Order: sequence, then structure tokens, then C-alpha cells
Amino acid sequence: MPLESATRAVRTGLVAFAFLSYLILIGIPGRIGGPALPVMALIAALFFWVKLRRESIEPSKEATGRGQDGFEGKPGWEIGPQAASNGSRVRELLSSHTGTALVLKGLLAGLTTGLLIAIVSGIIAAAMGNGIAIQPVLDKIVPLNAAALIGVSPGQIAQADVSFARFLLQVLLFTGAGILAALAVTAGSSDLTHAAPVGRLTRHLSGPTLTSAGRYAGIALPFVLLAYIAWLGLPGVTAFGTNEGTVRLLLTLIATGSGLFALRLSRPGREQLAVAVLLGLGVVTMPFILDQFQNSVMGLVFIFVMMGLGLNIVVGYAGLLDLGYVAFFAIGAYTYAFLSAPFSSPYISGLLTLLGISPESPLLGYWMALPVAMLTAAVGGILLGIPVLRMRGDYLAIVTLGFGEIIRLFMLNLGELTNGPRGILEISQPALFGLTPVDVTFGLLSSQGWIFLLALISSALVAFVAIRLNESRLGRAWFAMQEDEDVAEATGVHLVRTKLLAFAIGATFAGMAGQLYAARQINIFPENFSLFVSIDALALIIVGGIGSPAGIVLGALALKGLPEVLRGVDEYRIVTFAALLVIMMIVRPDGILPSARRRIQLADPDEPGMDSDPETREEEPGLTVNGDAFADGSGGREEQ
Amino acid sequence: MTALLSIQQVTKVFGGLTAVDSVDLEIAERSISSLIGPNGAGKTTLFNCLTGLHRPEAGEILFSGRSLIGLRPDEITDRGVARTYQNIRLFGRMTALENVLVGQHLRLQASHWSAVLRTSRQQAEERAAREFGRELLDFVGLGGREEVVSTNLPYGDQRLLEVARALGSRPLLLLLDEPAAGMNPSETDRMMDLVHRLRDEKGVTVFLIEHDMKVVMSISESVAVLDYGEKIAEGTPEEVRSNARVIEAYLGPEVAVQEAAGNAIQ
Repeated sequence: MPLESATRAVRTGLVAFAFLSYLILIGIPGRIGGPALPVMALIAALFFWVKLRRESIEPSKEATGRGQDGFEGKPGWEIGPQAASNGSRVRELLSSHTGTALVLKGLLAGLTTGLLIAIVSGIIAAAMGNGIAIQPVLDKIVPLNAAALIGVSPGQIAQADVSFARFLLQVLLFTGAGILAALAVTAGSSDLTHAAPVGRLTRHLSGPTLTSAGRYAGIALPFVLLAYIAWLGLPGVTAFGTNEGTVRLLLTLIATGSGLFALRLSRPGREQLAVAVLLGLGVVTMPFILDQFQNSVMGLVFIFVMMGLGLNIVVGYAGLLDLGYVAFFAIGAYTYAFLSAPFSSPYISGLLTLLGISPESPLLGYWMALPVAMLTAAVGGILLGIPVLRMRGDYLAIVTLGFGEIIRLFMLNLGELTNGPRGILEISQPALFGLTPVDVTFGLLSSQGWIFLLALISSALVAFVAIRLNESRLGRAWFAMQEDEDVAEATGVHLVRTKLLAFAIGATFAGMAGQLYAARQINIFPENFSLFVSIDALALIIVGGIGSPAGIVLGALALKGLPEVLRGVDEYRIVTFAALLVIMMIVRPDGILPSARRRIQLADPDEPGMDSDPETREEEPGLTVNGDAFADGSGGREEQ
Repeated sequence: MTALLSIQQVTKVFGGLTAVDSVDLEIAERSISSLIGPNGAGKTTLFNCLTGLHRPEAGEILFSGRSLIGLRPDEITDRGVARTYQNIRLFGRMTALENVLVGQHLRLQASHWSAVLRTSRQQAEERAAREFGRELLDFVGLGGREEVVSTNLPYGDQRLLEVARALGSRPLLLLLDEPAAGMNPSETDRMMDLVHRLRDEKGVTVFLIEHDMKVVMSISESVAVLDYGEKIAEGTPEEVRSNARVIEAYLGPEVAVQEAAGNAIQ
């Protein structure tokens, strides 16, 4: 077994090296500027952490996957009988001190990566030292960023030479990353959901002090990051040169995401409340410290959080696969546009004249238009809902997909009403009592910052409503409907009402998001509301974890925020993004932060008194149906 | 005793197959009645007609004197008819308690707004619902397993949970579709005891489909027999047991002839 885990550790190291090479290839370290080595070590540490944590959680699965039978259900490094019979002291040590074993694994993985990087970069540096201009050659074959690999800033590449010190530094740096990752796994594990398999390990190695230290560090992380972002924004601070904007955006995304983890790490009750309040305050200051670009990205992220939360009601709670969700987004956006832009179609101005309102005046402000947009979207949701009441699964998906396209084509072709492909321009900005917040805060809050702030507040409100509804009898009815529609109805759930409520509430949230989106874009066109908006919204709830509001925020950060950070990597952006998604779905198939329900389900197999083999459980109802020997009274099966 | 449920000339046709053929049946209030018959006799179809899953082509179903025909399943549940299923159909990813809470769904009044605002009335109602749910779980013998996800419950417990969920809607009539199917003898005894307690303690009228003759004969006060959609016999367990048509339906005509011959010799 030690040999096997050693092989696995070396393989982890190799994969890490391949992964880093790819990052260097697409020029990510180069973008960050300055010596790239520490950044790469950090990335490697993160990679090791994910990998080691996974191994420590499901060691039995990994081990049994290797064709070992008879040892199922035991952690991989504990497979005792064989190890003991072979009698090696190292083995005994490793099987009793699982924490040490983990650290050794991390060390081995890090060492592998470090050695490879050191050797390859040493060869390149040696070639350069001998006067071979290797970078132009590399550029021709693969645009590999040699400077990043060697670990110097791009300006220094001309003086590259072979140095033992650097070799050692590289090896040590990555080995350290491996050890650090292993320590992080042992420290963090007892607080996380899957504590059981590694709980002992923590005691062995780090004791309770480090564990709670790790927890507090996790809680403190978002605040530290926020402070750092604020500091970066101070005039005169230039830590990352031209890439500062991107780095700050990335840090903002990480800070927001880590905030959610901090919330989960804190103990329920007073501690969690305090963390939530502090986090809320911290997050609300973000629009003030970010610049226009970062704010606009974050605004979009949180508009999509609202979308995701709304779609989650339909898909995640009620289990109705809606692929035309963009329709309600478009309805919200266009409703606000009609009400607030100078453009007015003869129909709408005619209607307004009828109502006694002058078509010339800027119609409704943002706040007056909000209920109108929400209501229109809700009506749209019900109108879509009625024809699809009897549809399920794939059929529902296809019809809703069509509905989304129909709305877009309406916007495109009803030129007189919607100005067609020319779109609606100069949509007015949300104001407070006639004042723009930009004026009120003396420019501290940029116009995009204001949108971001509004998106934050609206998302919080939407999340609040969604969570509360989900915890009420309506949420239970939705979930029952998702589990078994017929039985739900026979148990007393009014299907029509419950389904239409899901569609209407989901649509209302999308309408709010659409209105804010229109305000953010100022000009909107039918192309803004293509099928891909629906796909994005659906993808973000799947990536984040269906049914989990916190997961949806993370999903939006990853799917709408990260691509903007990756903008620097130009043509590799989409490929990288796709690769990240694939990795995500392999590592965490239930989403980044799965909903509590899924976690309960995953954790439950430890529960006594249940069948551990899912297949037999699946079969039982079937057997019952066929259990037709009844006449003699021995009906059904004797054993269970 | 008055008839709680009265089935009159109910016919259900699937294409060319007449699954239920002009069946007449009366279920007395606070009684325990059984419906038996070979596989494919139309027992579950009749249950589905009663609960609104199928709409019968002809006939009338009166519950407490009011027609159930044309009502949606949730409206029928609202009237006081609840059921369990032959192949267990729990809400698998919900906990036991949540399943029972869904069962209470239409007895809860709080508006969705009050759920968002968590008004004191809504909170009180939720607490009461949870309390009642725990009581019901205790009643069926699942006390202490409230938070277990229902797919993780042992098979016999899942059947009990279905009963508890059905009780959530405070029914007058409970339809049990093969409650003892697939159970071992001790679980079957538990289930029979539960059926008795349902009637005696909760005052629920029980109408059940069952294949286990030991169960049918020991708990039923009246038994009806279906074969090819037709009611071929009705009466007390003893009457049904000795009915020639029933024996024929179950064991084939030859056996019936032999039985008859045996009876003649005796």
C-alpha cells in the first residue's frame, strides 16, 4: 500500500507539472507580472489541496477502484492485514499516523513537480546561457513563456543562467506547497462535512489548536482579501503594474467566494450571525473601493446571481427544466426600457396618452418601474406555465427553449414596438429621490458601482425570499413535485397552482434582474437576450450546486466573473474555461457548494440499519411487484 | 353502520381491455375491508379510480354521499381519502418527517407571504405541523427516525412511513395497496397491528388490497374479490374462502371441480 500511495503522489506531482505547464503556455503567470514562481507555487498548492483532500475523503473508493477486494469500507492507508503481515516499520508508521502519511504524500507530489520544473527550466536557462536564443524558438513551436518557467520576471530573461540556488529554491518551493496543502487538509478536515474519515488524523498531527486556527483563518480570509483589495485601490499603490485591474477583479471574486465558505465554517448561532453581518458590511463596501471595470463585472455577476436564484426555484426546487428562462429576463429589461427610454413606439405612446401621461416626459423612474417589470415578467411566467403544465422532462425543456426564442424574435421583429435590431437606447439610470448616487457620494461610487450595489441588495433580497419560501410548505410542495408529481398530487399538492407559482416567482426574479441589466447596459438590443443567457443561468446553478443559494453565488462568480479575469489569456480563454468546468464536474459533481439536502443524502450511508448496496435497494420495489405467490399466505419475500 | 364509500357500477376501460367492469361495492364507516383477486384483476385500477388518478368511463363513486367523479387527486385527498402505493412511492430524498409534512400540505393554511415574513402565526402552524408529524411517526412506530432520509429507511419502515404520510392529511378513509407486500412475518404482524390501531384509535376506515391471505383473513371484516375486472364475490372472510368462483379464479377450474367433489364426499 505505501508503494501504491507513493505512486499516486508522484502521479499527482506529474499532473500538477502538466497543469502548470499549460498555465505557462497560455501565459497566465506572464500576465501577472513580476516573478511568477510564487504564484505558480500557490496554484500548485491549491491543486495539491484539492487532490489530497479528495483522496483523504474517499480513500476506500480509490483503493477498491484498483481491484482490491475484501477491504472495502476502510480508508486506503489503513488496509491493515496485508501491511501488518509484511511487517515493514514504515508501513506500520504510516497506517497508524495517517496525518504523517498525508504529509509525506504531499511532500512527494510537491517534490516531483518541483524537480520537473527545476530540471526543465534549468535546461532552458542553460541553453540561454550558452547563447541559444530559446525564447524565439519556443515562440515558434509553442508560445511557452520561458521567463515564467525559470521564475524570473520577463525583463530578466536575457541574463538567465544556471544557478544551483534557483534549482534548490524551485524544488523547495513546490515541495513546501505540497506539504502546506497536506497540512491544510489535515487542519481543515474536522470542520468540514466529511470529517469522519480524517478526524483522527487531525488529532495525530496538529491537535485541536491548529484546527480552530484553520477555521478562524478561513473566516478571516475574505476580510483580509477585502482589506488588501482596498489597499490596492489607494492612489500610488502599484503592485501588479498594468495587470492590477485584473488581479483586483480576481481577488474580489475570491473574496466574495471565500466569504460564503467563511459563513459555512462559522458555528451556527451567534458566531455565524456576527460573521454574516460583518461580511454583509464588507461586501457592501466593495462597490466603493472597486473601479468602473471591476464594478461592472461584479454587477453582471450579481445580476446573474438573481437570475440563478430565480431559475433555481423553477429547476432546483420545483424540478421543471426551463431552457427559455432568458424570456423573462428580456421581458423585464424591455419593460423598463419602454418606461424609461426616450424611444417610444406609437403603441406605447398612444397607450400613455390614453392614460393621460405625456409621452414626452421621462416616464417612470427605476423604482416606479420595478413593480411593473416584475409583474410583467410574472405574467409572462404564468403565460408560459399554462401550456406546459402537463409536460415533463425533455418535452418541457424543448417547449421552454422555444418560448425563449419566440420572445427574442418578437423583440427583433416587432420593429414598431421594440425598435427591432436597433434596440432601445439611452435607458435612464436608477436614481434616489432624483439624485444620482454618484453625485451624492462625490464620485466615490461610480455609476457601475451603483449598479453593483443595487445588484447586491436585490440579490440579497431575492435570496432571502427564495430561502424562506423553500423552507415553507410551498418549498416542500415543490420538492415533492420534483420527486414524484403524481404522488404529490395524490398527497394533496395542487399541481397547477404550485407549478404556476414556481414559474411566476422565478420569472419575477428574472424580471428584476432584466431591469437592472437594462439600466447597466443603458442600450439594449435583442441579441442581448439569446439562448446563451439561459444556458449560462442554468450552467451556473449546476456548477454551483442545484438548490443551494450559496452555491449559486459561487457559480455566478465562476461562470460570469472568471471569464472576465481570463480575458487576459486571449484566445485560450474559452478553452481554459471549458477545462475548468470539466475539472469542476469531475471533482465536485454535485456543484461547488451542494445544497444541504444533497449533503444529507451523501452523508447518510453511515446511518445504521440501511442497505449499503444501492442495487439491492433499487430492486426491492420491483420484487414486490412481482411477488405474486400469495395463495398460501407466504406472500412476498421472507427475508428483507 | 352507514356506508362511507359507495362504488356504483364503476367501469374503467384501457383501449380494448376492461380493467374494472361495472363494480358495485360499499365500504362501511369504521370498518376494515379488503379487496383481493389474482394479478391483473383490476384492484389497483379501482384504487386509482377512487383517488382520481384515473377517471372511470361509467359509474358513480360517492364518498360521504358526495360524488368523487371528476375531482382532481388533491381535491379527493381534501375530502378525506388518502392512500399508499403498491410499489413504495415515498419522496425519496426527503426525511421521514418531511414526507409527513407534505402529507399535511393541504391542512396548512399559512399564506406564502407569511412564510417569507415568518409571521408568528405561520411559525406556530409550522411547529404544530412538525409536532403532529412526530406524533404520526410515533404512531406508526417510526419514532426517533424523523430525520432519516426516506430512501435510507429499511424496507418495512418505508411502508410504515407511507401510512404516516397518508395520515398527514387526516383522512376518513385510508386505502392501503398491498401494505404487507415483501415484508417478513414480524413486519407483517406490525403492519396488521397498525391497521387495527388505525381504526380503533384514529377512527379511520381502512380499505386494503392484499395478497397475503393470512393478513386478509385475520383483519378484514368484509372481503370483496375481483377477477378480470368483475366483482365475483363479497362477504365475510369465511364466506369468501368457501366460494367456488373464488377458488376457481385463484386455482383454476380443475381445482375448483375437485374441491366441489371433495365437499360433496364430505
